[in-house]
Amino acid sequence: MDASQIIFGLTALLIIFSALRVVTTRNMVHAALWLIVTLLGVTVLYALLQANFLAVVQVVVYVGAIAILFIFAIMLTRREMRDGGPQLNKGWPLAALISLAVFGGLLALLYNAPVSERLAASLEGQDTLGALGQALVSPDAYVLPFEVASVLLLAALIGAVYVALNKKQESDK
Amino acid sequence: MMAGTLPISYYLGLSALLFTLGVLGVLIRRNALVIFMSVELMLNAGNLAFVAFARMYDMLNGQIFVFFVMAVAAAEVAVGLALIVAIFKTKRSIDVDQMNSLKG
Amino acid sequence: MTQLDFITVLPIAFLTFWVCALLLADLFIKRKGLTAVLAAVGLAITLGLTLMQVGRSALGFNGMLVLDGFSIFVQTLLLLSGLLGIALAYGYIRRMKIERGEYYGLLLFSIIGMMLMAQAADLIMVFLALETLSIPLYVLAAFARPNPDSEESGLKYFLLGAFAGGFVLYGIALIYGATGSTQLAQIISVVNLSGGFEGIYNPTLMLIGAALVLVGLGFKVAAVPFHMWTPDVYQGAPTAVTAFMAAGAKIAGFAALLRVFALAFPTLSADLSPVLWVISALTMFGGNLIAISQTNIKRMLAYSSIAHAGYILMAFVPFGDPKVLPVSVAAGLFYLVAYTLTNFGTWGVVIALEKAEGKGLEISDYAGLGRKYPALAAAMTVFMLSLTGMPPTLGLVGKFYLFRAVLEGGYVWLAVIGVITSLISAYYYLRVVVTMYMHEGEAQTEREFWLGLTTLGAAVLTVLISLTPQWLFILAKDAVLMLF
Repeated sequence: MDASQIIFGLTALLIIFSALRVVTTRNMVHAALWLIVTLLGVTVLYALLQANFLAVVQVVVYVGAIAILFIFAIMLTRREMRDGGPQLNKGWPLAALISLAVFGGLLALLYNAPVSERLAASLEGQDTLGALGQALVSPDAYVLPFEVASVLLLAALIGAVYVALNKKQESDK
Repeated sequence: MMAGTLPISYYLGLSALLFTLGVLGVLIRRNALVIFMSVELMLNAGNLAFVAFARMYDMLNGQIFVFFVMAVAAAEVAVGLALIVAIFKTKRSIDVDQMNSLKG
Repeated sequence: MTQLDFITVLPIAFLTFWVCALLLADLFIKRKGLTAVLAAVGLAITLGLTLMQVGRSALGFNGMLVLDGFSIFVQTLLLLSGLLGIALAYGYIRRMKIERGEYYGLLLFSIIGMMLMAQAADLIMVFLALETLSIPLYVLAAFARPNPDSEESGLKYFLLGAFAGGFVLYGIALIYGATGSTQLAQIISVVNLSGGFEGIYNPTLMLIGAALVLVGLGFKVAAVPFHMWTPDVYQGAPTAVTAFMAAGAKIAGFAALLRVFALAFPTLSADLSPVLWVISALTMFGGNLIAISQTNIKRMLAYSSIAHAGYILMAFVPFGDPKVLPVSVAAGLFYLVAYTLTNFGTWGVVIALEKAEGKGLEISDYAGLGRKYPALAAAMTVFMLSLTGMPPTLGLVGKFYLFRAVLEGGYVWLAVIGVITSLISAYYYLRVVVTMYMHEGEAQTEREFWLGLTTLGAAVLTVLISLTPQWLFILAKDAVLMLF
């Protein structure tokens, strides 16, 4: 057993545990914090998989922006941080069963169809960051999705502003 | 790097588990924020699978896909949280089971 | 960027430019009706650009985007839906006091997403287009905020859509894992070599991936059992948005489903066709049976729209059979046209009767409509007949082509189920007609020029096209999918 296996094992345990806490905890702020732990765990795995750029983006976008937005939303929607009411909806036993079946199915299929166990040639020595940047703006590669993503962000921005806009300010105009 | 000493299937098993936990959270919880956090778990599971496969094939296209998913997730979060906060202002609750002014 | 790339993306690029200009111009426009007109002009020009491409077929951006007869047909239908959506919204949002320029901006953004969906030749484009069409729709569903019903509708649609997006993403990840690419063209070549290209193709992973994509898009087109919150969403959203959502999101979802399944997954048809069969049958039964007990017209039409997703899904069942596929694709497209026309007409009538604060939406509010507003009642009768599938309407012709395609594929029982559920649906559709003509009541309607024109125009077309449906079917048949 070498270092990467140990790191993977620990991170995997951490991810599973914290994801489970996100799904089960009553305290909303705790849920958000466990979500951050999960996201950081995934970041470690990205680094292990040599997706260094994505690891950085994961920290900046997911942990830095998305998780923080969640915490903002929690603060705006809860006067008391603990949610006293029932946490589970009525159909939860069925839902749990479905989820279990989904997992069982996924695992069984993945197990029966072992994906290539070969070890990839290392990307090291290649300029992955440069290649990513090139790919994102090259017409032969990903410039179109890149533009679509920016249109998407613009639409989301306008939508979010509209939803968040205060009715009172609107009528003042 | 030592990453190569682990078979990709380990990562896939983990991502399947993470995906299932996300689905479970969406299906059993009543709080809109927690449901949305569970969706984020699902997206992360997908991203993890992508990065693992990209490593397996030694190609960058999987990583680029993940990059776009993150952009989409950011857009979704902006709209989704705005909606959640807006509905809390009117109803003082974000429990989706209590949202039955529409009978269902 | 070559000239070809430019041509494939031209209508969408123009529309994107137009939205941005529209949003800026809207700041200086006092009368929001002008914004609506400008948005409609943009859609009309885009429609012209799209129609100029008839006959071309090309791959753009190195396999990201495809231009073919199928995409042009679907985009034409989408742009017409957009125009009808604006016509319905024009007076409605003023009456409901939610008239704001963003409405039209978001509508156009959503159409951009839908058009991309029809042209997507890479799963990354499918995913991005799906989100581009969905995110503006979440906001539009909640557009009547702080009305709690509308907000609830927006939130539920959002949670459902995000959940569906998670499934689609995971499915795409597994397909990528199975083939090493997200481009349909490359996926197909890897599958066809089947173990040739370094032996990477993995059928099992591919199958799970395709199934997950199916689940995700099933949520989008509101197929049973993925329909949970759809009725709530349709009921709570502003009616003009519901009309657009019911048509546009369905067309785009089915277009992507059709292209991806027919092109990339034909080898999986042995496993997936039975699944589609079951989903289609469940959707037809579920939608029609629950619709019977509804008293709110919006909710009833929501279940009816679920049921119609089931009928359209019939066209997908024989997707792996290259002999039947062209006919079933044409039948599916034809049915989408019929559904779109009837859908906008029906919702137009609902809008005409709707009052502020959700009044005028019970089926009992339609009592006496036949005597007081004969033209509107006649139009509603045509739509109800069309939704049931009775002569002399487009709905009947659409169902005829669909059932015929399914029979050609050898799925006799599915056609039988289609007929049985159509008979069931007659009960609740005709109840509306009976209420309009037989019951005494004081139905009140709003008079709006564009609304009236849309509704009556849709009714006339529904009847007229059904008398000579051949040309439309031939157009649909010519709208072939480009094979890579």
